[in-house]
Amino acid sequence: MASSGNPTPGQQVRQAVVIGGNRIPFARSGGAYTYSSNQDMLTAALDGLVARFGLQGERIGAVAAGAVLKHSRDFNLTREVVLGSALSAHTPAYDVQQACATGLEAVVGIANKIKLGMIESGIAGGVDSASDAPIAVSEGFRRVLLDLSRAKTTSQKLKALSKLRPSDLAPNAPGTGEPRTGLSMGEHQALTTAHWEITRQAQDELALASHKNLANAYERGFFDDLMTPYRGLTRDSNLRADTSLEKLAKLKPVFGKNLGDNATMTAGNSTPLTDGASTVLLGSEDYALQHDLPMLANIVDAEAAAVDFVHGGEGLLMAPVYAVPRMLERNGLTFDDFDYFEIHEAFAGTVLSSIKAWENDDFCRTRLGLDGALGSIDRTKLNVNGSSLAAGHPFAATGGRIVASLAKTLHEKGTGRGLVSVCAAGGQGVVAILEAR
Amino acid sequence: MKTVDLTEIPALPKLYVSAVGTAARQKLSGNRGSSALPEVRHSVKGASVDVGRLTAFQNVLRMPVKDDLPSGFVHAFAFPVAMSVMAREDFPLPLLGMVHLRNTVEHLAPIDFRQSLDILAWAENLRGHRAGTQVDMIVEVSSNAELLWRGNSTYLAKGVFLPGIDEVTARDKEQFEPPAPTARWRLGAGIGREYAQVSGDFNPIHLTALSAKVLGMRQQIAHGMYMASRIVQEATPPGVDAFAWEISFEAPVYLPANLGVAIDENLDDGQWHGTTFSAWNEKSRRRHFHGSISPRS
Repeated sequence: MASSGNPTPGQQVRQAVVIGGNRIPFARSGGAYTYSSNQDMLTAALDGLVARFGLQGERIGAVAAGAVLKHSRDFNLTREVVLGSALSAHTPAYDVQQACATGLEAVVGIANKIKLGMIESGIAGGVDSASDAPIAVSEGFRRVLLDLSRAKTTSQKLKALSKLRPSDLAPNAPGTGEPRTGLSMGEHQALTTAHWEITRQAQDELALASHKNLANAYERGFFDDLMTPYRGLTRDSNLRADTSLEKLAKLKPVFGKNLGDNATMTAGNSTPLTDGASTVLLGSEDYALQHDLPMLANIVDAEAAAVDFVHGGEGLLMAPVYAVPRMLERNGLTFDDFDYFEIHEAFAGTVLSSIKAWENDDFCRTRLGLDGALGSIDRTKLNVNGSSLAAGHPFAATGGRIVASLAKTLHEKGTGRGLVSVCAAGGQGVVAILEAR
Repeated sequence: MKTVDLTEIPALPKLYVSAVGTAARQKLSGNRGSSALPEVRHSVKGASVDVGRLTAFQNVLRMPVKDDLPSGFVHAFAFPVAMSVMAREDFPLPLLGMVHLRNTVEHLAPIDFRQSLDILAWAENLRGHRAGTQVDMIVEVSSNAELLWRGNSTYLAKGVFLPGIDEVTARDKEQFEPPAPTARWRLGAGIGREYAQVSGDFNPIHLTALSAKVLGMRQQIAHGMYMASRIVQEATPPGVDAFAWEISFEAPVYLPANLGVAIDENLDDGQWHGTTFSAWNEKSRRRHFHGSISPRS
C-alpha cells in the first residue's frame, strides 16, 4: 500500500474486465499486407471483434487506438476505422500514441474510463504498417510549397520557387532512429545488452522459446478465438516453428557491430519490421453480464515510467524496469504473486537485461530505491504463448496482442495474476497487472 | 437452354478484338443475323480471385481493403463471361458501341476472396428502346451451389432497330433539381485509366481524350461501373451482409469532373430501410446517375 494511504486503482473503484480480443495475423513487412493501410488492417481486426461478440450496429462507449507510423491523412485514424466498421456510427473514438506502448496505454485509458463509470464498454487497439509507411517531403521542399500556396503574385511565386534546392527533393522516409541520439533502437539496445553482459546464446535461447511457445499455442488452437484471417494469412508469417539453436547461431550480428566479438544481436533475436493490428474488448461487469459476454480478466493497475537515455544514464528500453517495482509496491505484490509474465520482446536483449537488472542487488538499491534485488522470474512463466520475437511486432498492435492473450491464459487457469511489460521509444515504458476471472 | 463451359474467365481485350472481327465480317456479308438472342448460357467453374487484383481495385475505389468482395468487384470479375456471350457471332446486337443503361444487383451473402466461384451468364429480354434496341445481360455467381450474387446489366445498341422488335416512343425527360450534396467526388482526368487497370475494361472511350475522340466522344468518360462500385460501397451501411442495389446511368461523366453526390438514408427506429443516391455535374447540374440500395434478408 502506498505511504500516502490513497486508494489504489485496483481497489476503490469498480472493475474493468477484458471480455476478449481479436487481431489479424501479423505479417513481415513487404509480405501479405504490403498494400493494406493502417486503416484497412485495424478495420479488419475490429470487424472480426465485432463479429465474434455480436456488436454489429452497437454503440460502444469509446474506441481508443493508434499507430506509431502514421500518415497525416490519418489524423483521425480510429474514428475513420469505426466509421468503416460494423459498429454503430454513433461510437466515439480517439487516437493514442505512445510509441510501442500505444496499444497498452489505449487499454489502460479505456479501462480507467470504465472503472470510473464514464463508459460501460470500450475497445482498445493498435495497428502499424512498416510496408505502407508515410513518406514526407523534405523540410526545405515543404517550406517552399507552403510559401507558394500563400504567394499571390507571379513574382512572389517565383521568389518562393527560387528557394528550392535540388537536395530538397529527396523524400524523408521514417526511420527507427531516436531523434535525440541518431542511434537506431537496435543500436541503443546493443549498448544495454553489452552493459548487462547478455550472451549470444542466452538471446538465441529466448528467441527459440518464443517460436516454440507460439507454435505450440497455434497447435492447440489457442488463437482460434483471438484471430481473424486476413489477406490469406492464418498465422503470423514470422513464426518459424522449425527453427533451432543451430540455425539461430548461424545468423550474423546486425546491431552493435562496432562491439566486434561482443556483437550478439542478430535478425533472429531482434524483432523484424511487421504489419498488423489488434483489438481488445473491455467492459464493466454489468455490461458483460447484461450482454452475456465472457469475463476473462480484470485490468488491475498500470504504471508508466521514463528514463534519461539521452545522456547515457540508462538504456533506451529500460523504463519498464523502473515502472514495475513502483506498481508492485502500490499493490502490495511481489514477483511470487504472479503466474505469468508477458515481457514484450523488442529484442531478446531487452527482456534479458530487464530480468538481470531486477535480480541485481546493487542496481535495485541505487537505481530503483529498493532494499535489494526485486526478484527473479521463473522462465516457465515467461511469454508462455510466444511473444514478439516469433509473432513480430507491429508497434502499436503489440499491447493489444499481449493483453488479449494474457487475459485468455489467465481465464483458462481460472486464478492468478499476470504482469505485462512493454518498452517504448523515447525511453518510455508501460506495465500493467491483470487478474484472472 | 444449352450451356457452354469456358475453361476460364475470358480476357476483355481479346473479346473486343474478336468483336471487331465479327462486326467487319457482318458488314461485308451485309448480314446481321436474326432478331433472336442465342439460346445459350456461358459458364466458368471454379474461378478464383487474385488477392493482389482485389487490393488494387479496393485502393483505386478508395474502399477499405477487406477480405469480402465489394459488390462492384464481383461485377468486374464476372462480367467478362457475359461479354463473351455478347461477342458471339449469333448475338444479334453489335458489342462495340453498346451503351450501359442500368444495373440491378442482388448481393445475397458476403463473398470471401478465397471462395471458389462458379459464374453463369446469358442474355435475355431483347426489347425496343426509343434510341435503338436493349438487352439484359444476366450474371450469376455462386459457390458450392449457393447463389451469392446476381446481376442484371441492361445495354442499349444505339441506332440498331431489329425486325419484329417494336420501337418505343420517347418519353419526356423528367426535370432534375440537384438536392443538397452530402459528398463531392473530384474525379481526375486519369481515373478511367486507373479503373481500367483494376477492372480490365480498357475500352478506349475511358482512357485518354484522343482515344475517346477517335470513337466520337468529346473527351474520355468515367466508367459507369467505377461510379456504381464507389457509390454502392459508400452508401451501404457497414455490416450489412445481404442487399440489393440498382443504378441508372444518365449523362456521361467527361473527365476531369467534380460531381455533387447526395446519399439519402432511410432510417426508422434505428433500422436501415434503404438508401437512395444521385450524382450530378456541379457546373451543368445535369444528373449523371441515380439509384438505390435496399436491405435483403
